[in-house]
Amino acid sequence: MRVELRPSLASHVRLQIDPVTSEPVLLSPENILTLNETSHDILTRCDGSKSVQSIIEELASEYDTTAPSLSVDVIQFLGELQQEKLIILLP
Amino acid sequence: MKFRPYALLAEVTYRCPLRCPYCSNPTRYPIGTELSTAEWRRVIEEAASLGVLQIGFSGGEPLLRRDLADLIAHARQVGLYSNLITSGIGLDKTRALELKDAGLDSIQISFQSDRPELADLIAGAKAHKRKIEAAQIANNLGFALSANVVLHRQNIERLREIVVFVESLGATRLELANAQYYGWGFVNRENLLPTREQVNRARDAVNHERERLRGNMEIFYVLPDYFEGRPKPCMNGWGQQYITVNAVGDALPCPTASSIPSLRFDSVRNHSIGWIWNESESFRKYRGEEWMREPCRTCPERERDFGGCRCQAALLTGEASNTDPICYLSPHRNIIDGIIDREGRHSVETPYTYRANPKVDLISPAAPTTL
Repeated sequence: MRVELRPSLASHVRLQIDPVTSEPVLLSPENILTLNETSHDILTRCDGSKSVQSIIEELASEYDTTAPSLSVDVIQFLGELQQEKLIILLP
Repeated sequence: MKFRPYALLAEVTYRCPLRCPYCSNPTRYPIGTELSTAEWRRVIEEAASLGVLQIGFSGGEPLLRRDLADLIAHARQVGLYSNLITSGIGLDKTRALELKDAGLDSIQISFQSDRPELADLIAGAKAHKRKIEAAQIANNLGFALSANVVLHRQNIERLREIVVFVESLGATRLELANAQYYGWGFVNRENLLPTREQVNRARDAVNHERERLRGNMEIFYVLPDYFEGRPKPCMNGWGQQYITVNAVGDALPCPTASSIPSLRFDSVRNHSIGWIWNESESFRKYRGEEWMREPCRTCPERERDFGGCRCQAALLTGEASNTDPICYLSPHRNIIDGIIDREGRHSVETPYTYRANPKVDLISPAAPTTL
C-alpha cells in the first residue's frame, strides 16, 4: 500500500455506534463489522483528506508510541478493507 | 435478552413487474391489504429500538410503493442502514435521486442473464434493457451497485459471461445465488435444477473469477445446497438475527417461513415487533436447540448450522423439526439424491410456471401503480 494515498470510506459504507452495545460498527450491504477501539480510531480518520502516513502518525502520537510500530497493523487493516471494497484509496 | 435481531427484511409489496419462476414469494399470497405508510414507520421505529441495524426494502418490487422514499428517510432517521433490493424496473433518474436524498445507502439490482433474450425469457417480461439503464443511473448517482443473479439450469453454464457482464456495469459486488427451492422455485424445481456436472463447473468458474477480480469486485456465492453434504446455517439460526415483515404485516423468522403449514404468524398490526420477537410462538418454536431431534440434538455441528433450514425440512420430509435433508447425516438425504437424479438436467423441456401477482383489489390499499 502506498502510504501517500488518502483512504476514504466507500459511498455505501456507514460507520456508526451500535446503540445496544455502544461499540462502533461498520455497516455495508448485508454485513455488520464490529470494530475494536483501534480500528475505530483508524476509520474515523478515513475521510479522504488524510494520507495513510499521516493517519499512522496521528495515531502514534495519540497512543504515545512510534509510527513504525503501528504502520504494519494499520496498513494490513486498511488493505483488508480495501480488498472488500469498504474503503477507497484516493491519489 | 439472548437473541437480538440485526436486520429487518421489509417486503413492502408482493406486486412485481417480473414473473421469475424461482421467486421466493409464497405461491398463495396471504389475504389482506398492504401495510400503510404509518404502519411501516412504526415497524421501522420498533425494529430500531429492538437493536436492528440494517433494513432491506424488498418485495415484490419495492419501487411500486410510492412512499418508498418516505420509508427510507424514516429508516435513516432512526439510524438504520438501508438497502434497496430491486428488479430495477421503475428506477428512473428522478426516482433514484429521490431515494438518494432520502438517505438510501445501497442498491441491489437483479439480473437474469448476460443475454437479453434469455434474461427476458427467465423474467417473463421485457426487462433486461431497463435493468441496465437502472444500473447506469444508480452508478451515475454514486451508489455502489450490487448485482444479484439467481443461478439455475438455464444460466449456470454462462457464469463467467455473467460475471463479465456485471463487471461491465461497474458493480462493486455480485451475489451469485444458486436457486433455492421454496415458493415458486419449489413449483419450478423440475425446470430449474442443474446437473451435478453443471454445479461442479460453476464452482470452478466462481473460484477462477474471484481470483481474477480480487480487490475490484466482490463475489458472494450462495451455495447450491441440494449439492452440498452439509446444510446451510439458515438465517444464522431461527429467530436469532433476522426478522421479515411481509406486505400484509405478518412477521416471520425467515422470508419463506409461511411454507411451513403448521405455523401461524403474528401480525405487526396486532403486536409490537418486540413482543413478536421475544414472545410469539412462531419465533420461539425453532429458536435455540430444544426443538432438535436426532441426529441434530447431539451433533457437534449444531452450533454452526442450527440443523439447517426448517422450511426445507417441512417441504421435503413433512416435518419442520426434522434435520434438514441436505445433511448427509439426515435419514432423509436419499430424498435429495433422488430429486437430483430424476430432475437434474441440462435442458428445459417444459415451460416455467411463472410467478403470478396477487390480486390487486385484495392486497393494495391504493390504486395500482403502472410502470
